Amino acid sequence: MKKRGIGKRLLSILLAGCLMVSLTACSSQNDQDDKGKDTAKNDGTESRPEKIEVTFGRMTIPNGGLPEGDTVEDNAYTRWVEDILNIDIKDAFEANMMDGSYDRQVSLALSSGDLPDIMLVSSRETLKELADNDMIEDLTGVWDQYATDTLKGIINSYGDAALDKVTFDGKMMGIPATTPDTGPTQVWVRSDWMQELGIKVDEDQNKAISLDELKMIAKEFKDKNPGKAENPVGMAFVPNLSDDGIYTMSAISAAFGAYPRTWLESDGQVTYGSLQPQTKDTLSLAAEWYKEGIIDPQLGTRTWDDITSLLVNGQLGITFGMWHVSDWLLNNVREADKNANFEVYGIEDANGKVNAKHVNPVGFIAVVRKGFEHPEIAVQISNMFYDSLRYSPESFANYPEVVKYVEVGGIGVARPMNMDIEPATSLLDNLSDIQKGVNGEIKAEEARTKESQDIIVNIKAYLADPANASTTDWAKYHSRMKGIGLLQALTESGTINYVSPVFPLTTSTMQTAKVNLDKLEDETFLRIVTGALPADSGFQDFVSQWNKQGGEQIIKEIQDQIK
Amino acid sequence: MNLLLFIIWRFALEQEEDMKTKSRLSRTGRSYHLMMLPGMIFLIVFSYIPMAGLIMAFQNFIPAKGFFGSEMVGLQHFAYMFQLPDIWKIMRNTVGIALGKIIIGTVIAIAFSILLNEIRIKFFKKTIQTIVYLPHFLSWVVLASVIVNMFNLDGSVNQILVGFGAEKINFLGNYKVFPGLIVGTDVWKEYGYNSVVYLAAITAIDPGLHEAAAIDGASWWKRVWNVTIPGMMPIILLMAAMSLTTILSAGFDQIYNLYSPMVYETGDVLDTYVYRVGLVGRQYSFGAAVGLLRSIIGMVLLLTANGLTKKFTDRKIF
Repeated sequence: MKKRGIGKRLLSILLAGCLMVSLTACSSQNDQDDKGKDTAKNDGTESRPEKIEVTFGRMTIPNGGLPEGDTVEDNAYTRWVEDILNIDIKDAFEANMMDGSYDRQVSLALSSGDLPDIMLVSSRETLKELADNDMIEDLTGVWDQYATDTLKGIINSYGDAALDKVTFDGKMMGIPATTPDTGPTQVWVRSDWMQELGIKVDEDQNKAISLDELKMIAKEFKDKNPGKAENPVGMAFVPNLSDDGIYTMSAISAAFGAYPRTWLESDGQVTYGSLQPQTKDTLSLAAEWYKEGIIDPQLGTRTWDDITSLLVNGQLGITFGMWHVSDWLLNNVREADKNANFEVYGIEDANGKVNAKHVNPVGFIAVVRKGFEHPEIAVQISNMFYDSLRYSPESFANYPEVVKYVEVGGIGVARPMNMDIEPATSLLDNLSDIQKGVNGEIKAEEARTKESQDIIVNIKAYLADPANASTTDWAKYHSRMKGIGLLQALTESGTINYVSPVFPLTTSTMQTAKVNLDKLEDETFLRIVTGALPADSGFQDFVSQWNKQGGEQIIKEIQDQIK
Repeated sequence: MNLLLFIIWRFALEQEEDMKTKSRLSRTGRSYHLMMLPGMIFLIVFSYIPMAGLIMAFQNFIPAKGFFGSEMVGLQHFAYMFQLPDIWKIMRNTVGIALGKIIIGTVIAIAFSILLNEIRIKFFKKTIQTIVYLPHFLSWVVLASVIVNMFNLDGSVNQILVGFGAEKINFLGNYKVFPGLIVGTDVWKEYGYNSVVYLAAITAIDPGLHEAAAIDGASWWKRVWNVTIPGMMPIILLMAAMSLTTILSAGFDQIYNLYSPMVYETGDVLDTYVYRVGLVGRQYSFGAAVGLLRSIIGMVLLLTANGLTKKFTDRKIF
């Protein structure tokens, strides 16, 4: 189902974004100290003499975490921006980013030709379509003139990769959100249950478990039902088995070296991950597990929300996702059960390596409507959120409600542009600050970002009394020390084996055939896993159908594109 | 809306025929026509004018270039549609589910209205009527979550099945039972509302006929069969012919909220398919082409139905 497909993909790219306000050592580390003393002139947030109205396309998420009384259109962040830049923020539309509604709104705005002054688009295709149709402003000039050195440095930490993605004919048509690699998809396991049942895994202490160990945990959880719930489930997945990230099978397929729905390239030869024998192996194993009852018998009809409730109800104790899931999904589990704790692992392949894909560094892209008289506002807002808010606490010290937002964290949708511009190494840099802070090597205030400083406080509070810690402290401890901690451990031990996917622009055959091919893929994979199709002949059939129905042509087109 | 207009128009015509001898447009005829005016304006603004947009179906429509700037591609989108590998399966699903809803829905609504008409206690009758109308006013988005809760593997329906010693059935994930679930829930939701028209038709039957039949010794069954149903026939035919136009739309919001890749085999219908390809995949022209084709087929079916009823029953719908 496309709606979920898009939701999930957004998720991996973005979602990440919304909660990981992180920071780092970047090029401008040194000028940072002078910043507060400079006049407002230099921080790229010049006000304008007359108040102007600016319309935005805005994202929402269910339970977006806004404080009582604040709305997406009117909250501490928007009031801060309105005050500093002397503008009036109006929302042209607001839509849920999780289920694809936001993308649909953008599609509608595009087709009606009635764009908000500033909005985010989720793909380069949309950006290109807008640029080709001359519907958006060239931002090259305002970017050079208004973006702070810090902001430019962050974008440059990806080399040309980030700017290239938004540049057409030498013109910068949008401001790219940037996302650092998050490493392999992680397995989150209820450690309190493992303890209760006396389950021991990861004997070599390398933070990676094998598929057999995963299966064993799931089986124990399902059979012994430590959550004392009705209908315990071993493992549950969303229906789009080829998707990446949260509640998906991507960690399992990566252990086979399979990267479904991913374009890969070696020696100039483009291949499609879903067609590879490794993908078939993944499906065969999943089919076996399904038959044994270890995988949710309702696979295929369980939605994202259903799986969240399984976790919260104590029916499910294993889940898959990124480092930040404890901040916004698993925190619900802790709310419901004070004893809940999680341990985080990677899944290793036969050689003891944990496979991962490099992420597309560019997720959302902010664009400005053609003809909007103040395109610099988009750059100024970027300066405020991705430079000032992170590195210069004094720049918003006069706005206590903003300070409060930053402390609570995770209110991404309150920002007029709900994206993140992160330096390439931000995750690990921040973690090392936090670890030092927690160990007492540095004082909390010495951490490089405001967010890290706050998190050090959270984690110390958690460690002082884990059993009675607040859910926020619990969540921050898990996401940083365990989630990013896993990435750090695997990175340092050299256990991660990265592959670099190709991120092609939509080709003409993709446009006409991809929806069908995706349907064929989703349907076939589910039927193989649920046993409605035999793995061998079913998969073989799928490969030839896929090639025949336009897939072969698409591969040719991508090959031409990357030449 | 259209049905309402149509009924007023029939009244106007009848009045006119009665008055033909007097003047071309009698006073009553004229006032009926006047009543149609707001509806006609609505229809022209929202149904006829947008038809110009159908030109999209023959273009490679790009929003920013508009209707005049987009390239004309003739029947390309129609040709493309028929070479899609899944199109016949989708057509089969669509027609199957739609026909199921039309036939079962009509039969149940008629049966229900006949039975309801037999109830003499007014309070009881009204209460039942209200209860069965209610689901009609609930949106599928809301009902879908109720249905998911009832019919999933841990839901109440399966618990009842297990109670009787039967196997659990994954109604929402089993492509063999999914169409049944769709038809069944739709009929349940709509039969009360649909029976309003039939109930009205029954009330319009001259009670004298019933009395005469009763005096002649006809049983209840005989009276239903020989008096009530023939009396309802014009309305039944009208409603059936009208619903034929929807044969290629099996109910988007219902299916969209209940289906999953597990049941694409039997549950993916034209609307959901076009939605995925057209709006999400942003192929507006293709979406328009499918919509146009659907309307044409609906119109042909309606005209055929009209012709057939005229031939066999000597009554025409319009």
